[in-house]
Amino acid sequence: MKTALSFARDFSSFAIKGGRMYYAWLLFLAFFILVGSYTAYLQFTQGLIVTGATDQVTMEAFFANFVFTAHVAAAAVLVVAPGYFYHRKDLKELAVMGEVIAMVFVATGITFVLFHMGRPDRTWHIIPGLGYMNFPNSMLAYDTIVLNVYLLLNLIGVSYILFKKYVGTFHEKQLALWFRPIVFLAIAWGPLIHIVTAFVLASNARVGMWATAVLPFAFLTMAGASGPSLVVLIFLLARKYTKLEIGDPVIDLMTTIIAWSLGILMLVFSAEFFTLLYPSTEHADSLKYNMFGHNGLNMYVPWFWGVMVALVGSFIALLFRKVRHSYDRFLPLVCFVVFFAILLEKPMMLIFPAFSPTPLGEYAEYHVTLIELFNVLFVWALCFLFLTLILKGTIGILTGEVRHDKSSTASQNDA
Amino acid sequence: MANLHIPSKIVALALCGFLMGALSTHELAYSAEKKPAETQSTQPVTDCFESRIGYSAVTRVENADPKYGYPNVKCSQTTGAVLWFGDPFAGTIRMGEMPEITDDTRGDFTNAVVKPREPQLMYYNMGPNGCQSCHDGKTVPYPKSTKPRLITMHQDIVENSLQLMHGHGALWCLNCHSAKNRNHLVDRQGNEFSFNQPQKLCGSCHGENYIDWRKGVHGKRIGSWVTGGKRRWWVCTECHNPHTVQATRFNRLKPEPPPHLPRGMKNADYERAKESGH
Amino acid sequence: MSEEKNMDLNGADEVVQGRRDFLKHVCTSSAAALVVATSPAEAVEAASNPDADATVAEYFQGHFLLMSDEEKQKAIARLEKRYTAQYSKKTTVSNTEAPDGVLFGYALDIGKCIGCRRCVHACVKENNQSRNDPEVQWIQVMKMPKGNISFTPENLDKGYPEKSEFGDYGVQVGGNAYKTAGLSTEDAQNYYTDDTVPDKDFFYMPVQCQQCEKPPCVKACPVRATFRDHAGVVLIDYNWCIGCRMCQLACPYHARRFNWGEPQLPAEEMNPKTHYFGNRPRMRGVMEKCTFCVQRTREGRNPACLEACPVGARKFGNLLDPDSDVRRVLATKRVFRFKEEYGTYPKFFYYIG
Repeated sequence: MKTALSFARDFSSFAIKGGRMYYAWLLFLAFFILVGSYTAYLQFTQGLIVTGATDQVTMEAFFANFVFTAHVAAAAVLVVAPGYFYHRKDLKELAVMGEVIAMVFVATGITFVLFHMGRPDRTWHIIPGLGYMNFPNSMLAYDTIVLNVYLLLNLIGVSYILFKKYVGTFHEKQLALWFRPIVFLAIAWGPLIHIVTAFVLASNARVGMWATAVLPFAFLTMAGASGPSLVVLIFLLARKYTKLEIGDPVIDLMTTIIAWSLGILMLVFSAEFFTLLYPSTEHADSLKYNMFGHNGLNMYVPWFWGVMVALVGSFIALLFRKVRHSYDRFLPLVCFVVFFAILLEKPMMLIFPAFSPTPLGEYAEYHVTLIELFNVLFVWALCFLFLTLILKGTIGILTGEVRHDKSSTASQNDA
Repeated sequence: MANLHIPSKIVALALCGFLMGALSTHELAYSAEKKPAETQSTQPVTDCFESRIGYSAVTRVENADPKYGYPNVKCSQTTGAVLWFGDPFAGTIRMGEMPEITDDTRGDFTNAVVKPREPQLMYYNMGPNGCQSCHDGKTVPYPKSTKPRLITMHQDIVENSLQLMHGHGALWCLNCHSAKNRNHLVDRQGNEFSFNQPQKLCGSCHGENYIDWRKGVHGKRIGSWVTGGKRRWWVCTECHNPHTVQATRFNRLKPEPPPHLPRGMKNADYERAKESGH
Repeated sequence: MSEEKNMDLNGADEVVQGRRDFLKHVCTSSAAALVVATSPAEAVEAASNPDADATVAEYFQGHFLLMSDEEKQKAIARLEKRYTAQYSKKTTVSNTEAPDGVLFGYALDIGKCIGCRRCVHACVKENNQSRNDPEVQWIQVMKMPKGNISFTPENLDKGYPEKSEFGDYGVQVGGNAYKTAGLSTEDAQNYYTDDTVPDKDFFYMPVQCQQCEKPPCVKACPVRATFRDHAGVVLIDYNWCIGCRMCQLACPYHARRFNWGEPQLPAEEMNPKTHYFGNRPRMRGVMEKCTFCVQRTREGRNPACLEACPVGARKFGNLLDPDSDVRRVLATKRVFRFKEEYGTYPKFFYYIG
């Protein structure tokens, strides 16, 4: 279809245009993509031995980052939901940005899983029909399904909205019948992917830190804190550098969600820590290793306390109106801190210390290798590259700068 | 819906791109990162032992199996212990007749084989007639009585014959070694047994272990797990030195090396720390 | 050329073939790139690089259990050809079925184990594990304190809080707490380097795959690469495993090992008598573990660890045969299961005989 082609062309050409800072950012990402291509090649030929993973600590940084991207992907739906549930028109217009973030982060999560697998060339083994999917039993099979469906739902939703706005026919009364159900399904599906990811971890009885009922709640609240933090940062950037109008109430709603999430997260952590530490059985060994170290192995202790201080501090900071309304200084800072605290909490609290002690009593420290680090940065750079380009194009459509010109095949934004 | 394909196309192109583009740097990367497959030591150990050092020796023979060409045994580089048997029945003879005992304690001796002990006994193999080479009544006269007395021979096996490390003073040499027929062992009823069947002597006092041994619960049997299948049984003196059992039931061994530490761990000191700390 | 199991027996071949071709086009480039990328390696290096000569046909084979007999024969022939070329010795890959009416069980006497680790190394000699970088050992021996050195009079005063008005030494934690005695993984040493064993104040307990009747690893595998055969042994189809390591997360016994890199197996150490599910050389990125020496036990022979144990602490046999060694142990000794609270019903029993 000619319209589709011109949509693609206009979208892309708007997406890659920008000022000096924009190109600097893209070049910065391109550097990591370049270096990461080489380290990814090393990993795909030599295997996971280039990472720091061992039989004792079997999950590497990719898995930790995968869980984190599931956080953000699940929570991006929190931009969409208020617009549809509470009829907030200002949020409804920005809903598509939430869906874009969700879509890109789910794709990033799937990429992290590919890097985590020992044989990504055998991924086709899990496709039912071609291979064999251990469906009712294996939690990873469920996760594969829900992640791909979520990606598909958001892809459909985003494409439909953007295309319709591009051609100017996005009016409430003229929307396809399947559109609203798809959006509501995507809103419900967001927390679902995160609950299933939590179950992938919680289904392992032998990891004392994970085999707990609070894990889905911890994940959802951390999603609620980290996802909107990213959204706030993106909205603040968009407000500053693009023509998109984002009102203060939108930012305030996101901030409220972050604050509530952090508060509930602290309750969840308290419940977990109390249940483990009061009787101090063998189940608590991993947590004590994380909090206090074990017989001289202290690597994770500063991370634990640092993350806790960051999260509690951020929560307290967000209680102050001055911070919440400081859109130029304190709020972006708090959002950065929350985002990175939760990002670092994943490997340093959730994943690596959880494996010690192993069932046979070994304690191990995990040392990330350079190749692994660059592969992680490679995937993050790809994620942010796509996020940037697609969001730029989306903003262009939302502000009306990218519009289909019916009079000629060329659009108004010809280079 | 053209933009559906753009992100995935870019990703696919990127993936193919790095694969193709980095192929040229493959040699550099591969040789830099990969270590050549090293063996610990190129020469395999040939003089091995099974259970007791000096009394259960096996020599490694290459290409012992005609079909696969593997050796008869594979031994440890660190300790010389036999780790792996190519043919579990090499060098074995039939166990011989064993007394019938009732149901639960019957052993399955139909297909039982053992490695003969006689070739492993140092003094037995010093002369052409075994121990009789010296203990023929002439070179060494037969003892007039079997009462315990100090003996100044074979002190490398038993240092002090009046303080034999077996039975806390209840036993001495001639309680087990036949006085007139040193190639055989003897029990309290005067029955004589070959060194290849020590279980008949040991079992006459150590009934519990003997019964467990017959059932397969004590001791070692290799070969088939199938009931009635061919098995090589370890006899008592292959594992236990009857002259020192009071000091140590089973001689202490040097262990095989520990596993490599997980990557990233410098040492395993944490597991030896005295204070648990929590 | 493409061997593919048929999940749908009603002539879905064409559909499958179509998907096949699509997949082949997409994946062949990466497979070919991998093959090309590793082909410049020399013959010596190829011996420890099993992926080097893997054919495209092997890449596309389906799950072994779902193959027809003819496909299985072809898969095995491919593997035999590859291994024979890689290790320069005639290698056979057996496909013996598990015997009927048999449920394999194992019993280990921790009263006799002296911690010599011969079982660990015998297993390595038999089962073609990677020798170093990474070193893979399927059995791990724990050294645990008996408890006779865990209590001292000096510790009486070290409890907290301090001596109280009640006259005792503090009601919360006694000074002799935090010292394990007996079977506990808390103070278990896995890397002990004793000069001679056994150390008189410790006892030893080897742990390997417990071959659970209700294996959590089988439940967790997303592609069913690991499964329980009808003789009770939990096995892995190495060509089907995708390396996601969910099974390693699920196993409560730390029994499963992963090939993080290309296995380093020198040709002279290789055992050429292999079984498809057992000791055939693995490739990088797949899981492996103790299989009760399936290449031996299916032919009626005992596992390598049992044959190596110098004190006869290991017993193996058919749990359904009342005359087998392991059944006799169960009948006469007081056995226990390791970590039985996980509810996996292992068929590996420990006893103190």
